[in-house]
Amino acid sequence: MLFNSIDFAIFLPIVFLLYWFVVNKNLRLQNCLIVLASYVFYGWWDWRFLSLIFFSTIIDYSIGIGLSNEKNPSKRKILLWISVLVNLGFLGFFKYYNFFLDNFISAFSFFGTEINANSLNIILPVGISFYTFQTLSYTIDVYKQKLNPTKDFIAFSAFVSFFPQLVAGPIERASNLLPQFYRKRNFDYSKAVDGMRQILWGLFKKIVIADNCAEYADIIFNNSSEYSGSTLVLGALFFTFQIYGDFSGYSDIAIGTSRLFGFDLKQNFNFPYFSRDIAEFWRRWHISLSTWFRDYLYIPLGGSRGGTWNKIRNVFIIFLVSGFWHGANWTFIFWGALNALYFLPVFITNNNRNNLNTVAQGKYLPSIKELLLMFLTFGLTVFAWIFFRANNINHAFNYISDIFSSSLFTFPIYENDDFVKPLFILIFIFLVIEWLGREQQYALAQMELKWRKPFRYLLYYTIIISIFWFGGKQEQFIYFQF
Amino acid sequence: MKKFLIKIVFFLIPLLLLMVLADFYITKKLKNNHEYPGEIEVWNDIYKSNINTDIAIYGSSRAWVHIDPKILEDSLNMKAYNFGIDGHNFWLQYLRHKEYLEYNKQPKLIIMSVDVFSLAKRQDLYELNQFLPYMLWNENIINATSSYKGFTFQDYYFPLFRYYGKIRGSNSILKLTSNENPEKAYRNNGFRGMERNWNNDLAKAKLNLNEYAIDVDSSSVNLFQQFLLECKSNQITVILVYTPEYIEGQNFVTNKEKVINIYNDFSKKHNVLFLDYSNDEISQERDFFYNASHLNKKGSELFTRNLSQYIKALANKNKDR
Repeated sequence: MLFNSIDFAIFLPIVFLLYWFVVNKNLRLQNCLIVLASYVFYGWWDWRFLSLIFFSTIIDYSIGIGLSNEKNPSKRKILLWISVLVNLGFLGFFKYYNFFLDNFISAFSFFGTEINANSLNIILPVGISFYTFQTLSYTIDVYKQKLNPTKDFIAFSAFVSFFPQLVAGPIERASNLLPQFYRKRNFDYSKAVDGMRQILWGLFKKIVIADNCAEYADIIFNNSSEYSGSTLVLGALFFTFQIYGDFSGYSDIAIGTSRLFGFDLKQNFNFPYFSRDIAEFWRRWHISLSTWFRDYLYIPLGGSRGGTWNKIRNVFIIFLVSGFWHGANWTFIFWGALNALYFLPVFITNNNRNNLNTVAQGKYLPSIKELLLMFLTFGLTVFAWIFFRANNINHAFNYISDIFSSSLFTFPIYENDDFVKPLFILIFIFLVIEWLGREQQYALAQMELKWRKPFRYLLYYTIIISIFWFGGKQEQFIYFQF
Repeated sequence: MKKFLIKIVFFLIPLLLLMVLADFYITKKLKNNHEYPGEIEVWNDIYKSNINTDIAIYGSSRAWVHIDPKILEDSLNMKAYNFGIDGHNFWLQYLRHKEYLEYNKQPKLIIMSVDVFSLAKRQDLYELNQFLPYMLWNENIINATSSYKGFTFQDYYFPLFRYYGKIRGSNSILKLTSNENPEKAYRNNGFRGMERNWNNDLAKAKLNLNEYAIDVDSSSVNLFQQFLLECKSNQITVILVYTPEYIEGQNFVTNKEKVINIYNDFSKKHNVLFLDYSNDEISQERDFFYNASHLNKKGSELFTRNLSQYIKALANKNKDR
């Protein structure tokens, strides 16, 4: 079920009313309803893959119990590895089987040995990378005795399948989300209103910004050889706003929806395009994934301890794995490697923690230096997104070489141009709102304190009308494919 | 909780009102559309109940551009209207008939233009925008169009939803309403004679198309029989007409004979006249066509005159009896 569909618009109020009016007196029943609703939400896409989630839930729940009962370190390690292998096994099969097979065939063929193996027609289960990482974090935390394993199967099932964040995150840690299923939830008016506001802002980002940018980004990327360098730059810019609007919009809707049910999820995006260096960007982009890799891969590898070469190795590993997590394509691996290259200079020179605060904190405008740094970081990010969006690695390199041609200095030409100018205006308005709200959890948070009621309502209605007016094709969320 | 729900309701009320008003405004603008292929003009005439014709011409574009109601009127002294719907098979031709009967008096005679495609059923809703101004809560349109890829439940029952995604950009439906001369009708009594010269569609088809068989849709066959029974019980005379088709373009469909036989069977079973002009002299002459399936203005005038003479002769013969 898509957040931007009528199905969800009907589903959400039904679950909300049942949750707060029918099963509100019984915590266990509330959790059961969440599990049921989550399975319906996921099964709406393809009910067959519910078995995967259910199996993953049983495995990690049982292993969690097993780890709490087992004192022998080697047996505990075996239990951990069972969980890791089962979870990564599913992920590897569904997501990476064909990639590895194709690359092995190509590699052997390069050395003169022909192998006959057919790739499988595998459907990638939506959100598998997200819930796999979420359940893995639980087992690892229990293994490291940072977390007590749960004995409440329903609560654990709800934690694994919690529908607002099931298919595209934020990837929640058991230490944050699981205890919330144990506590009685009381309806909190201001939390619910804030949740509604965040959902509205998320829908605006997705439907008005991302879906409209997607239309032009797709035209330009899919016919890149026909366009001038300047138009290709424009295509990369459109994709830059598409992916941000799409993914952060999804996160906003997920967080807002959770708040309606009394849950607090982690902030997943913290205005990343206002970053002053690439390290800051990575502290602000897809925070739940970055911190997952930091805690479960980077730190176990040694983190920033050890010699320079160790540090460089660890940085490369984490960025390459992060790239590969996004998809079985060399484009994502290059994207990860490129970000590692961006990150290394600031990291090696110990400048990676220079910009921990928000840019131009407490001010309306940034300084010239801050502005230049933001532009530089943004430019590097836009360039890296070309690899992320390209159909394959050759396409990415051709796209880049076509940018750096004499046509870079010509006026961009694009089809369907009658909406491009309004789209620029929409992006500009969007950036202004994001800039003004950059010190908050999301751009419209705390509006209640700052804006008078008539202006607030005017803005809400304007957003809703613009969602309808500028709504384009109903595009799936990009991160569903990861 | 109560406060929250009350606020939501009060928040939604102005929004719903706004939706209804916006729906009304866009619908009104869209109904003024007079551009190609002029389908909205025909729907407007139907729903305004101002047709009340004696002769109704049904069919696809091959009815729309082939049979001139003015010539029929002059020759037969009866009111005539052409309900041909571009690009659609019988399923939606029948919708026009149903809607016509609901808002106008029933005709005495129906000229039903049939061809090899009439009993096939396409998947998509061709020229989907034509249904937008009339489809809200319209059960006939819902029944006729819901089996196609095009509309969803909310499009049929909630105001404004059907216009979602159709407002901005180059394909905006609002652009359809920006006709410089909004009062100028595209069709005349549902008909438009095409002043076009022979184009290279057939040459292209010969290069790109292999022979193919028409997939006769059983639900369309049943609906057609139902239509004939309904007409019979309402004492409406039906004439099935296979209008001219350029001879060189007739070789692509491998099962044309089978389809023609279905019409022959209908003719015998329901005692209706079936006139097949596919091998008529007009069909041999390229000058009368602008492509293999469509007559140009000159061809349509000649064909309608021939048809009206035939009907007139038939009527006289029946009178003499």
